[in-house]
Amino acid sequence: MLEHTLKFIGSIKLAVPLLSMIVAILIGATFYESQVGSTTVQQEIYKSPWFGALMFLLALNLAVSALYRYPWRGARKIGFALTHLGIIVIIAGSAAVIHLGVEGMLPLRTDTASNNQIRVEGEFLEVMTPSSELQQADVLIKPDGSVMPKQIGKLSLVGYSDNTIKTVSFTEGATADNLAVDNPAVRLRLKSDRMGQTLERYLAVAPVAYSKVGIGPAELEIIQVDTVATGKGKSLLSPPEEQNLSPWGSIEVTSKEREKIDTEIIDIKEALSSQAPDSSVKVVDFWPDFRLDSNNQPSTASQQLRNPAVQLEVSTLEGVERWFVFGKENFPPVRSVVSGKPLEGIEISYNIQPQQSQDYFRVIVTQSGQLFYAAHSSKGFKSGTLEVGKAVSPGWADFQIILDEYIPHGKINREVIPVLDPTVKGVPALLVSTETGTQTWLPWGEPTTINEPTGEIFAAFSPKLLQLPFAIALEDFIVERNEGSDSVAMWTSKIRIEDRDHHVISQRNVWMNHPTWYQGWKIAQASWNPGDLKQSTLQIKREPAWVTALTWTGSGLVISGITIMFYGRGVAKKLRRQPEESEVPLYYHSP
Amino acid sequence: MKPLQLLIGLCLGILILIIPPTQLQPSPLDALQTLAVQLDGRKKPLDTVARETVAKIHGSTNYRLENNQTLNYLQTYLSLWFNNRDWNQEPFILLTYRPLKEKIGLDLEQKYFSFAELVSSNLGAIVLEANQKEADNIELTRDEREALTIEDRLALMLRTVGTDTLPLVPHPSDSKGTWVSILQSQQYYTNEQITPLQQSYQTLKQAYRLDPLLTTVEVGQVAETLHQQLAALSPEIYPKDSVLQREVNFSSFRPFSKAWKIYAIALLVLLLGLSLKQLDLYSGAVGIFLTGLFIQGYGFITRMEIAGRPPVTNMYESVVWVGFGIAAIALVFELIYRAKYYLLAAAPLSILCLLLADSLPAVLDPSIAPLVPVLRDNFWLSIHVPTITLSYASFALAMGLGHIILGHYLVAPQSFQRISHLSKFNYRVLQIGVLLLTTGIILGGIWAHFSWGRFWGWDPKETWALIALMCYIVPLHGRLVGWLADFGMAVISVVCFNAVLMAWYGVNFVLGTGLHSYGFSTGGSELIVGILVGLDLLFVAGAATRHNRWLLSKSTENLVKQLSNNQQVIAKEN
Repeated sequence: MLEHTLKFIGSIKLAVPLLSMIVAILIGATFYESQVGSTTVQQEIYKSPWFGALMFLLALNLAVSALYRYPWRGARKIGFALTHLGIIVIIAGSAAVIHLGVEGMLPLRTDTASNNQIRVEGEFLEVMTPSSELQQADVLIKPDGSVMPKQIGKLSLVGYSDNTIKTVSFTEGATADNLAVDNPAVRLRLKSDRMGQTLERYLAVAPVAYSKVGIGPAELEIIQVDTVATGKGKSLLSPPEEQNLSPWGSIEVTSKEREKIDTEIIDIKEALSSQAPDSSVKVVDFWPDFRLDSNNQPSTASQQLRNPAVQLEVSTLEGVERWFVFGKENFPPVRSVVSGKPLEGIEISYNIQPQQSQDYFRVIVTQSGQLFYAAHSSKGFKSGTLEVGKAVSPGWADFQIILDEYIPHGKINREVIPVLDPTVKGVPALLVSTETGTQTWLPWGEPTTINEPTGEIFAAFSPKLLQLPFAIALEDFIVERNEGSDSVAMWTSKIRIEDRDHHVISQRNVWMNHPTWYQGWKIAQASWNPGDLKQSTLQIKREPAWVTALTWTGSGLVISGITIMFYGRGVAKKLRRQPEESEVPLYYHSP
Repeated sequence: MKPLQLLIGLCLGILILIIPPTQLQPSPLDALQTLAVQLDGRKKPLDTVARETVAKIHGSTNYRLENNQTLNYLQTYLSLWFNNRDWNQEPFILLTYRPLKEKIGLDLEQKYFSFAELVSSNLGAIVLEANQKEADNIELTRDEREALTIEDRLALMLRTVGTDTLPLVPHPSDSKGTWVSILQSQQYYTNEQITPLQQSYQTLKQAYRLDPLLTTVEVGQVAETLHQQLAALSPEIYPKDSVLQREVNFSSFRPFSKAWKIYAIALLVLLLGLSLKQLDLYSGAVGIFLTGLFIQGYGFITRMEIAGRPPVTNMYESVVWVGFGIAAIALVFELIYRAKYYLLAAAPLSILCLLLADSLPAVLDPSIAPLVPVLRDNFWLSIHVPTITLSYASFALAMGLGHIILGHYLVAPQSFQRISHLSKFNYRVLQIGVLLLTTGIILGGIWAHFSWGRFWGWDPKETWALIALMCYIVPLHGRLVGWLADFGMAVISVVCFNAVLMAWYGVNFVLGTGLHSYGFSTGGSELIVGILVGLDLLFVAGAATRHNRWLLSKSTENLVKQLSNNQQVIAKEN
């Protein structure tokens, strides 16, 4: 019976269906891979126990079939045995590579210190229970968002989102020692029909970080004052004094005439409204945001002082010139001769204060709980009382600001929520649930505390890292280009290996197809960032030497085995025939 | 083998090569064609720039004007360069993809469009959208990919028409330094050095205006002066005349296109010899075939010299290499076994490979470009790829033989002896294929060990190479226990080649994932390949029906079986 089973295990009758099955699985796997990506397929198929079992069965079949045909006499049998043995060795070696090898990525920069932590593929979750038990496990996230495994320690893994953001909200009920704490907070809604946009923002006096929120070019702020009748409160609600005396800036004209230097300062806004018709430098036009329009005529793109420019007409006895001077540095004046000769010895510079951006919307809360607002925009200053539900137009395009809620005793609530809008840049997060059913999002790379009746649970969903026994620093990163073009010919990382334990510091070069080895670790060039040439990512890998030896030996066995099996007999026959042929005298051939 | 006939065959082949003899004479425009240009990361002759530019924009190297006059690539390129016609309005830019034409509102029947027509169409909006998608890493639709191709053509047109920025002036000292145009040459050289240069350049333009069809020697003479002046600026850096001339000769001689024509003639002679029993033309056919192989080998080596790198690094080169491999393996077997059928199976396949390489420049781009970093400077790679593609060639040859065998089963099932011989020949080819593929996979593993740090990682290209190998190994084992005989092995040779096709072409074009991504490209005509594979499988099914007598009634089947048994016995006795 055993004899019979063994014979079957070593038979072609098993080998052919087994191999056919493996082929079918592999074909399916490659197509599946083009759908779901390599990581999943590696995890679900190639590294799975059942695939390993299949490979083991194949190796067993090969081994038994080879042993059954012992003794191996003749080229065919020898070749057959060598090939089968070789495949077994390769399967063993490849399995060892997959399961015993360690591989990770090491991002390095030329301007930072050495690093010894490599990023290993995958994520993991670390959980510390109230009783200080620590549990760790790998987490696999499939492309469809499902998570493996389902349970780590006392946390069940419920879901995953690759884009979550942290939000903050305030609710009524801030307390300390069971007494309500005064902390005014408001929820504002900003609405623009023209831009089809609605934003919601919380403002609170405390914590300070939430008292002022920037939205684009404008700022929202909440300020608490004693009263608006006097002092700070009063000044907040009255229009700001005009601080900038020359809002469009001024030009400085320096003329050198026979070693005599004249300097004249002209205020643009003033000069445009009233200037003497006979002045030698005439301000012709002013553009706050200078642009050339489609007809190449000067125009302004907006009313903001983004690129202020002034057109001047400079006339002396010698001639008349037209000048364009620009407020931005590094923009030299553009000049052309209108009549007469080109002018010499004249320099004009344009000084303009950068615009005081400040568009703002301030919510002013008095001690007695009255609400006021003060808004500033390019259209001017506005102030008034603020009521829940009433819309205020601060003057920013068609934006309306509505006070949705007033919370006198604001209590902060931080929350992580998944977002579907791909334009919002967030971080991945893992949704876990405790035994009592509390669900919490754990943002990637940030330890989170979960409050439970039994105590606090600390959980961290983070990248898998591995400590190397040595550190690597990037000394330089060299990108060679193909001649006369921007395409890359080669990139090379000049690295320094720092091994404190062995007091070794070693400088190496690593480039494509040319890794370097240090204590069994292979260090290879992996990727780079075309936008940042100070950065380089290395692949760090280790496999035991015997594993490499196994695969190489197996390779040699298979190739020589097939060659002997197919051609050994023919060659042997030829060799045996050779002596007969060489009986023909050699000189017979020579002339 | 008849040595005299072989010799005659060889001579005949060489004669075909050198006809017309004018192609071997120096052209009066040589000096112009061999002006060196530093473009796309290498120095190449102007001749190559002209060919590539015209082919890329126009899809063909000849341009037919409205008055039915035809300009060759050089005339067309010079016309673009010196801008002597209204290139805004010339219908020159190739656009064949109908859905795109429909989308942007162009005439569906028209094949070539003018710059003005395309620029004023809706193309811009689609290109903008496609660029945005590319930036966001979203997969493009076929329409968008085609639109980007057209945009490339437009951009190339803009760069070429009336350009004064062609980098013709060598760097003074650095062999990898950036070249500049004649107008910018004061960057590197003094006024005394560049004044004559600029004069010659102007003279060249004038000479061209007087003779835009290049009928006289005038343009060539001016170009000669310019060429010498340019070379004299930096004689160390400027490529040698012989190097430039070699590339010009290579492009005009077109060895790969000559090779398939010679293979075709060899095939015809072979067929003639097979059909007319009294006429033995076999040795002659072998001779002609040999010249084809020589010329293809010569082309391959020259291309390697020009590119300065190992031979098989992109799809174009691999198709040419497989064509070469099929022919070479067939010839070796032919010389051993004198079977006739090796050449018969190989010739159509080699012709097909070379024809594809010759006529599909959009899919199989023949231009020589610098390699991406991962393919550079690696010993294992430069033997791994040729080995593995040579195994594809063996399996292709087996596929050809498989067709011949199945053809016999279909139309002459009684010729047992020939079928059994053919099957033996086929088995030999399968053996060499298995050995080469195994070696290739293992060499790939060794390269992967150095490059990616592991011997085997189930990358799709690796996996498919293994699948292809197993597709042959499994039947070969089945043959040992008698599950498959001659007919089965013939079917296997044909059907399993699809696995090779998948490993070679499908992984790059159909799956499009994995680490071997430098071989990937778009625009593979999956549908056409699919249809061809389907037709081929129908042929196999036909042969199987005939062989297994699925369509015969019971009584006839018995009769036929008896007859064929008798015949088999007779055949064995003989």
